[in-house]
Amino acid sequence: MFPTVKKAFGILVMLFLIAPLAAILPLAFTSSALLTYPVPEWSMRWLTELVTEPVWRRSIANSLIIGGGTTVLATTLGTLAALGLRRYSSLFAGVLKTFFLLPMVVPAVVLGVGMQVFFVHVGIANSYLGVIVAHTVIAMPFVYVSVSGSLAGIDPRVELAAASLGASPSTVLRTTTLPLSLSGILSGAVMAFATSLDEVILTLFIAGPHQRTLARQMFSTIRENVSPAIAAAAFVFIVGTILVACLIMLVRMRTGGAMQKSVGPGIS
Amino acid sequence: MTEQPYIEFRKVSKVFGSLTVVDHLDLTINKGEFVSLLGPSGSGKTTLLMMLAGFEDPTAGDILLGGSVLNRTPPYKRNMGVVFQNYALFPHLSVAENIAFPLKRRGVAKAEIAERVNRVLEMVQLPDQSEKLPSQLSGGQQQRVALARTLVFEPNVVLMDEPLGALDKNLREQMQYDIRRLHRDLGLTIVFVTHDQSEALTMSDRIAVFNHGKIEQIGTPQDIYDRPNTHFVAEFIGETNLIPVKYREGDHSRCSVTTKTGKDLEVTSPVTLFRGTEVLLSLRPEHIELGDSAEGLENAMPARISDVVYQGDHLRADIEVDGTKLVARLGRHLPPHDPGDEVFIGFRPQNARVILP
Amino acid sequence: MTARLGPHLKASALVLPLVLFLALFFVWPIIAMLKQSVSDPVVHNTLSQTSAIAAQWNGKAPVPAALQDALVADIRATTDRQEMGAVVRRLNSAKSGFRTLMRKTRRAIRKTDGPINLGEVDKRWNEVAWWHTIAQASSPYTDRYLLAALDYGRDKHNQIVALPEDASANRTILARTFVISLSVMLSCLAIGLPFAMVIASTSGWLRNVLLAAVLLPLWTSLLVRTTAWFIILQNNGLINSALQALGITDQPIPLIFERTGVIIAMTHVLLPFMVLPIYSVLLSMPGNLMQAASSLGAHPIVAFLKVMLPLSARGIASGSLLVFMSSIGYYITPALIGGPSDQMISSVIAFYATESANWGMAGALGLVLLSITLLLYVVYGRLSAEKKGVA
Repeated sequence: MFPTVKKAFGILVMLFLIAPLAAILPLAFTSSALLTYPVPEWSMRWLTELVTEPVWRRSIANSLIIGGGTTVLATTLGTLAALGLRRYSSLFAGVLKTFFLLPMVVPAVVLGVGMQVFFVHVGIANSYLGVIVAHTVIAMPFVYVSVSGSLAGIDPRVELAAASLGASPSTVLRTTTLPLSLSGILSGAVMAFATSLDEVILTLFIAGPHQRTLARQMFSTIRENVSPAIAAAAFVFIVGTILVACLIMLVRMRTGGAMQKSVGPGIS
Repeated sequence: MTEQPYIEFRKVSKVFGSLTVVDHLDLTINKGEFVSLLGPSGSGKTTLLMMLAGFEDPTAGDILLGGSVLNRTPPYKRNMGVVFQNYALFPHLSVAENIAFPLKRRGVAKAEIAERVNRVLEMVQLPDQSEKLPSQLSGGQQQRVALARTLVFEPNVVLMDEPLGALDKNLREQMQYDIRRLHRDLGLTIVFVTHDQSEALTMSDRIAVFNHGKIEQIGTPQDIYDRPNTHFVAEFIGETNLIPVKYREGDHSRCSVTTKTGKDLEVTSPVTLFRGTEVLLSLRPEHIELGDSAEGLENAMPARISDVVYQGDHLRADIEVDGTKLVARLGRHLPPHDPGDEVFIGFRPQNARVILP
Repeated sequence: MTARLGPHLKASALVLPLVLFLALFFVWPIIAMLKQSVSDPVVHNTLSQTSAIAAQWNGKAPVPAALQDALVADIRATTDRQEMGAVVRRLNSAKSGFRTLMRKTRRAIRKTDGPINLGEVDKRWNEVAWWHTIAQASSPYTDRYLLAALDYGRDKHNQIVALPEDASANRTILARTFVISLSVMLSCLAIGLPFAMVIASTSGWLRNVLLAAVLLPLWTSLLVRTTAWFIILQNNGLINSALQALGITDQPIPLIFERTGVIIAMTHVLLPFMVLPIYSVLLSMPGNLMQAASSLGAHPIVAFLKVMLPLSARGIASGSLLVFMSSIGYYITPALIGGPSDQMISSVIAFYATESANWGMAGALGLVLLSITLLLYVVYGRLSAEKKGVA
């Protein structure tokens, strides 16, 4: 109808969505101590600082430890539950499914206050275990949604066929069901890792100084002494995201399964 | 007809990127005429309809309605009713509200709207359904609502884009009949896009056969079927045998051709050609006659039956003549033939037509 | 029966670990938080004898001698200074003056081991009001935090009254939270609805590019996106440099630590949640309805109002709820980009929990935020359930 207006609007919105992300990437390579344009000279100074400065190094290591732990725990729990509930559509099963998604809905600060109180009580505050457990709570729904989605996409006749060809139930699971839902499990795992990597609020409430993660470190750097190190850290994040997205694409293409990306609470 | 054409396409082209979908096309349609645009998908027929409706702008050329150029008129001012393939009923409006939609846009008074909605629902044989939502209707009923919604505002032209494609065979035949009846009773001008040749043959006053953005041939169903001008039309409409022959002599109606094996045949041709031009002879299966001897057959040739299949109302025979395989459609009253039988075939000159390859 | 029990058992065994995990580390912490919002154990635990007797007292003068004796005994028995300090703080927060009164009383009690007449130590002990405060504080549960969360309190007659202006900031913060969330929702709608329509009207690679533009930020870390805006919105950041270079302004426009900046950044972060539900509704709609409306004589604007808008209403509602629900709990973006007057309820909760160790207030405000969020989620759930029912 109004093709020019439409085109201009589309371009403006795309710019609004993408430009901020694109704008901070070059600042990771500034030689200046300020986060400003124009960049006086290109330098690896801040990326080097990320790996040499003990605070940053420590926080990257922590993020990897906590992210890894969260991924394993959330993927295990979420996948088992998705397998358990896949054939059920009763009211009770519906309630359970809603319950599993609830951690996405409850505001993180509310959860943080509760966890702070409770974790001190049971003695896992200021520990890796505590942070991993907390991250698992909010990362698990992504795994659950993703795995349920890929399980729902499996043609039940394939599993019946496997059974009729002499596979025992556990063999069917191992040789048919799990390989077919692999893309869902993997993308769930990746989302769990990403969630943990990005988590600030719960970490703020329950982690001690020894469990300071990269995200948490970025958060306090922005609040306290802004330095281009945050742009460098953001660069690492964005590159990581792109790598992970490529990984998922690769897995999707190889398994040929349709992957559902959850976009928010209840949207599955 | 002496009256000036109602709709006129003058050298209309439509180009998408590097793809020419409609190519310098001329077409005229008279008032009250039912014209089908027939062709395979991608031949440009739907694009032409979309340009007539105003949803697409022609890249070049003019479209005229009643003598005035339409090009810049937006669709909502064209007063053309479009029946879409998927019906495009508004899912949030009831049947009556759907049908009232065009009347409301035209500021028709409430009482009159109600009356006209009821009248048109009677016309499409859907009384008592006015309060239902489209999703509560069957496919055929939705089709009728779409038709009613288009007819209710008495458009200049009714454009139909494969409207019967989603219906099953019986329903489709019923709708073909109904649309035909409405066309006759209301004196509608209808442009009907379809890829179904039997639908086009049944319903149209004239058929325009589309191929690669051009009209290959336009004419009455009989013209198109009996006198195809091109290879494409001959093959696309109905079933035909194409026999390679050489033009020998004759004028543009009656002429003779020579087969590969040197036999001369009396046939018809739309044009006069040079002697020796390689052409194809189009011969419809139902025009092949069979006999035990050459006696009583025109253009008689010895042949051998390779297979006979019973098809209910007729027999279908695969026949070999001089190494060329032909298909013949035979009456079921003929004495039975078996594969391997040696017979004679023949055909009347007016039933075999020379076309350019 | 046994044949059917087998699979159920197996299913339960698979689901149970997650249920237990969530019960322990998700539900229990929330209950712990809720308990914090109503629990008031300090006086009850430390002044235990006093609390027991105060529970029996009808609140009328004269103050029973047993209550006075119990208080003396409790004070004498409490040797931990910190513990006593907590009691004093608690009582003083309910009625100022308790700090001096208790200091005086404790000094008097420490001097002697014999019985003490509190009225002689300080005349205030003869007034019922001070004892009322102790009696109120001696219950292990309290509604003072919940009331305070909504700027209410109890007066000396134990009636619920609104707190004075200077002591009431929570309602302002709640109102601000709503205003910011609403602004974010509306700006998401203003950009998201037309953008979803643009995406739906395209096809092929162009549609994929537009969708990728929506999904890419969704895949990118929230923290990174907030960082990006932090950098861009600064006084010497990209936007202000550009504006000054173009000569539109000669002084930087304050964007960082301002409401505008918070709304821009939150809109960027939450825009996908508006676009995707609307887009999916538009996608389920036959593509030629607008053409149909047009061919039936509807001007494009009329066609939009009569066809497009009613049909995308459900997507608009879902998207708006999702954006609103997410924004009221937002912490990181306002914390990094907003100024002091742009802090939302989450920031206040975090402040009470991490900086002033006031668990009661943190819990009470948490309860308020949780209730609002869950309410919105229920509405949202209804909406998406209906959608499935129709489809």
